Amino acid sequence: MSLNREELFEYATKHIKTDDNSDVLELDCKNIIFLLDNCEITVPESNRFFITVNCEGIQKNIYNKRMHLFSHEIAESGLYVGDEARAYTGYYDFSHTTAQWESVLSLGITGLRKRISEYAEKNKGDEKKDRFYKEISKVYDAALRFLKRASDAAAACGKNEMAEGIKSLTENAPKNLFEAMQTTIIYYVLQHMFEGTYLRTLGRLDSLFYSYYEKENKENAKELVLAYLKEIDTLKAPANTPFALGGTDEHGNSLINELSYVFVEAYKKANTNNTKFHLLCNDNTPADIIESAFEGVRNGSNSIFFMSDKKIIESLEKLGEDRKDALNYHVVGCYECGGEGELTSSCNARVNLPLALEFALNNGKTFIADKQAGLENNGRFESFDALYKEFLRQLVYMCNCAMKLTDLCEVHYRDVHSAPILSGVYVSALEKGGDLYCDYTAKYNNSSVNALGLATAVDSLAAIKKLVFEDKTMSLSRLTEILKSNWENEEPLRLLVKNKYPKFGLNDKNTDNIAKNIVDVLHQAISGKPNVKGGIYRLGLFSIDWRWEFGLKTGASADGRLSGETLSQNTSATFGADKNGATAHLLSIATIDASKTPNGTIADIDLHSSAVKGKNGINALTSTLKTFFDLGGFGVHYNILDTETLKDAKLNPEKYPNLQVRICGWNVLFSALSEKEKDEFIARSIK
Amino acid sequence: MKGLISGIKRMEIHDGDGLRTTVFFKGCPLKCIWCHNPESISFEKQVAFFKEKCISCQLCKWERTPKTAKSCPTSALVLYGEEYETDALIEEIMKDELFFRNGGGGVTLSGGECLSQGDFATDVAKKLKEKGISVYIDTCGFVKREVLQKIMPFTDKFLYDIKAITPEVHKKSTGQDNALILDNLCFLSENNAKIEIRYPLIKGYNDKECAKIGEFLQDLKGITKVKVLQYHNFAGSRYEALDMQNTLPEAETTFDDVQKAVEILKSYNLNAVNGIQED
Repeated sequence: MSLNREELFEYATKHIKTDDNSDVLELDCKNIIFLLDNCEITVPESNRFFITVNCEGIQKNIYNKRMHLFSHEIAESGLYVGDEARAYTGYYDFSHTTAQWESVLSLGITGLRKRISEYAEKNKGDEKKDRFYKEISKVYDAALRFLKRASDAAAACGKNEMAEGIKSLTENAPKNLFEAMQTTIIYYVLQHMFEGTYLRTLGRLDSLFYSYYEKENKENAKELVLAYLKEIDTLKAPANTPFALGGTDEHGNSLINELSYVFVEAYKKANTNNTKFHLLCNDNTPADIIESAFEGVRNGSNSIFFMSDKKIIESLEKLGEDRKDALNYHVVGCYECGGEGELTSSCNARVNLPLALEFALNNGKTFIADKQAGLENNGRFESFDALYKEFLRQLVYMCNCAMKLTDLCEVHYRDVHSAPILSGVYVSALEKGGDLYCDYTAKYNNSSVNALGLATAVDSLAAIKKLVFEDKTMSLSRLTEILKSNWENEEPLRLLVKNKYPKFGLNDKNTDNIAKNIVDVLHQAISGKPNVKGGIYRLGLFSIDWRWEFGLKTGASADGRLSGETLSQNTSATFGADKNGATAHLLSIATIDASKTPNGTIADIDLHSSAVKGKNGINALTSTLKTFFDLGGFGVHYNILDTETLKDAKLNPEKYPNLQVRICGWNVLFSALSEKEKDEFIARSIK
Repeated sequence: MKGLISGIKRMEIHDGDGLRTTVFFKGCPLKCIWCHNPESISFEKQVAFFKEKCISCQLCKWERTPKTAKSCPTSALVLYGEEYETDALIEEIMKDELFFRNGGGGVTLSGGECLSQGDFATDVAKKLKEKGISVYIDTCGFVKREVLQKIMPFTDKFLYDIKAITPEVHKKSTGQDNALILDNLCFLSENNAKIEIRYPLIKGYNDKECAKIGEFLQDLKGITKVKVLQYHNFAGSRYEALDMQNTLPEAETTFDDVQKAVEILKSYNLNAVNGIQED
C-alpha cells in the first residue's frame, strides 16, 4: 500500500512539535518509519541498481518548520542586524558529512541492523541509551521492510538483476561489485529521501569497491562503473553527488588502484551533470591518472576537483584530530574535509571580509542600509597600519558574532533534528548510545566559519594604501564619500583602480602578504574556539554562490567594485585581476597558510582552451598542479573556457546539452545559468 | 646590461616544450607582411592607442607618452617597450622556476628578433643556463653569425623560422633576402644545434614553397620537428592602434591547407606536424 506525497506529508507534519513526553529522535523515527512503509516506489526504466521514491524533502520540511520555532531568539539576540546586512551569518548545518562507508559495505543494511542489537545488548540498562537503540532499530527494521517492497517492485517490472540484488541485501552483506554499488545507492537514498539531509557525500569509491572489483570480470566491471556513475547522477541530491578517488595511506603511498583508472575513464564518458569528482592527490599519485583527469577537465563535460592530501591531513591534525582519522579524511561537500568520525558541519557561519573594511571606514555602519552592524570608531586613521588594525578589530568582532549566532542555533539540535540512519552507522554514536545530532555523539563535533570575499578585501586595502597613504591622491574621508556615492562621477578613477592598481593574484608579495595575514588573524579568531556541541570551530575560505547574495548587500569597495556587485570567488583573485596568468595566480594563493583552513583554501583557475591545447597543454596543467601542491596548496579546480563556445551556447543552448562550468562549489550545466552568470563566464573566458 | 622588451607571457605552451615563459624582445630586421606581433617590429618604445577602449576621460590630455599610458584607466593607451636590466628580467622569469622544473619547461626568448639585441640576449641566456633553466631561442635567422656563435652554448633549442626558399618570394614577403637565413640554419645544423623549424603558411605568398622547404631541410641534421603554422588575420586592430599600415593578407589558412603542407613535408622524411593540432 503506498501513499501520495500529500498524504505522506500530512502524516509527517503531525510530528513537528516536541512536548515533555516525546523527543525529536522518537518523532523523526516515527516519520521515517512511516515514509519507509508507505512511500510510493517507482522503477525507472533507465535504472540498473535501485528504485526511486516519492518522499524527497518531506523530513527536511519538518526540520525547517522546527527551526522556525526558535528564530525569534536570533531576532532578540541583537545580532539580527549584522545577519540581515550579511556582515556575518550563523546557522544550523545538518549536512556536509559522510557515512562510515566501510561499515555500510562490510556489514550491509542487515549487518548494520544486527550491530545495533549487539551494542544494545552490551549497554543494556541505561534508560536513555536503551531508547536510542530501540528507536534506531525500528528504523532499520523498516528499512529492511522497504527493501523487500523495493525488490518486489523491481521484480514486477522485470528488473530481475535489481530485484535479486536487493533481495539478497535484505539478508546479507554485499557479495559482489554489483551489490556493493547497489548498497551505496540504497544507503544514499535512505539518507536523502527519508532522513532528509541536504548533502552527504559518497566516500572514496576506488578503495571502497576494490575488493569486489578484484573478483569481477574486468569488462563487466567497466560496464558497471559506467552504469553506476549514470545512476548516481540521477539521485536528486540538491547540491551534486560528490565522490572521491585516491588518498594516502599511513606510509605516504597513493591509494590509487586499478579501479581508480576505470572510474576516471568511465567518468569522462558518462557525461553526468550532477556528480562531483574529487581526486585526492599526493607526491606519489601516478602522473598518468592526473593527466587523464586533466583530459576530462579539458573536454568540458564534467567536473573534477584536485585536492592535496598533504595539506588537508596537516590541517585536520592541526585541529587536534588523530593522525589516523586525518589520513582517512573525507570530502564532505564542495571542498571541505572532515576527519574520520567527524561530524563536520562545514557550512554554519559566514563572515563578509569586505564589510569589515566598510565598517572600519564608516563607523561600524553599512554603506547601503546605513545600519550600525559593526563597532563604532572615531574614523581617524593617521596611517595605513592604523586603518588595517581597525579593519582587523571589526573582523574579529564579526567572527565572534557569527559564532554566537551559530551557537544560538546549534544548541537546539535536540529540538530540531536527529539522524537515526546515519547514527546507526557511526561507531562512536553506537558506543555512546545517542544520536549524532541530538546527543553530539560523534568523535569530533565541529562547526565552521567561512570567510567570504578575501580578494575583494585585499584589493581594497591595497588600493587604499596606494591611493591615500602612499600616493596621497586624496584623503581617506574623501575616498569614503566616493565609495558611499558608488563612485558617482568618478568612473576614470574607479577604472584606474580596478585595472591598474595592485591586486591579489598577480604574484606580488606585498599584496599577497595582506591576504596571508588576514587568514592568520581569522585562524586565531576562529580555529579551536569551542562550540556548544563539545567540539570546536574550523575555518574555511570558500564563498561559492553566496558571493552573489553577500555582494548585493556590500557597498562599493575601494578595489573599483561597484555597490552590489559580486564578491570575489573562493580564495581566488577577483575576476579579470589574474592578468599575469595562472602560474602567478597560483603562487599568490600558495602564500596563504592552508594548514589553517580545513574547510578549504580554494583556487579557481580559468584558462582559455587554446592555452592548454595538445599534449603540451596537459603537460603544463600537470606542472601547475604539482607546483601548487608542492608549495602547500589545498585544492584547485580548473575551468577551461572557450569564448566562442560559450557565446554560441548562450544563443543556442540546444546545441550544447552537456556543456558544464564549475560555477562555485559544484558544476552546473551552462544552459541552467542566469543570463548574468552566463555573461560573467564569457567575460572570464577572454584572456 | 639592458634590453628592450615588448612583453612577457607566463605559462606559454606554444613556444617550445613544456610550460614556458616567453620573453618578447622589441625590434625585428624583417618586415613580414603577415606579422602578428606588429608591436615588436620597431626597435623604439611605442604607445598604442586602442580607441574602442577610450572613455574620453582626458586624463592623458590626448598625449601618447609612456607616462599617460601608465595612468590610462582602461588601457586604451598601451606602452610597448620596457627597458629591463638582465638581473631584473631574470628575476621576473625565475618567478615560475618551480613550474618549469615540474613541467619540463623553461624560457623562450622571442620577439621581434631576440638576436637583434644579441649581447643582451646572450647575457640573459647565459645567466639562465647557470641556474639550470632550459633556454630556447625563437629566431627568424636574419642575424649576424657571431651572435649565433655566442649564444649557441647557452641554447637548448632553436625555434627557427623558414618562410621561403625562393629568394624573390622571401624578399617580397619579408623585405629581406634569405641567403643569410639559410646559411645560418646550415651553420647551426653543422654545429649540432637542436632545431625546430617553423613554417608559417600564408596562402598566395609562400604556400608554393612547401616542397622546396622539404627539399632544403631533408639533408640537414638536428631538425627535431617541422611545424606548419596556421595564419590568422587577428592582429589588425594592433596595426591600427600603432598607426602602422595594416599589411595582413585577408585569406586565413585552414586546417586542410596546413595538413596538406604537412603531408608534403613528411614525404621528405621530416617530422612534420600540424600546428593547429599539435601545440
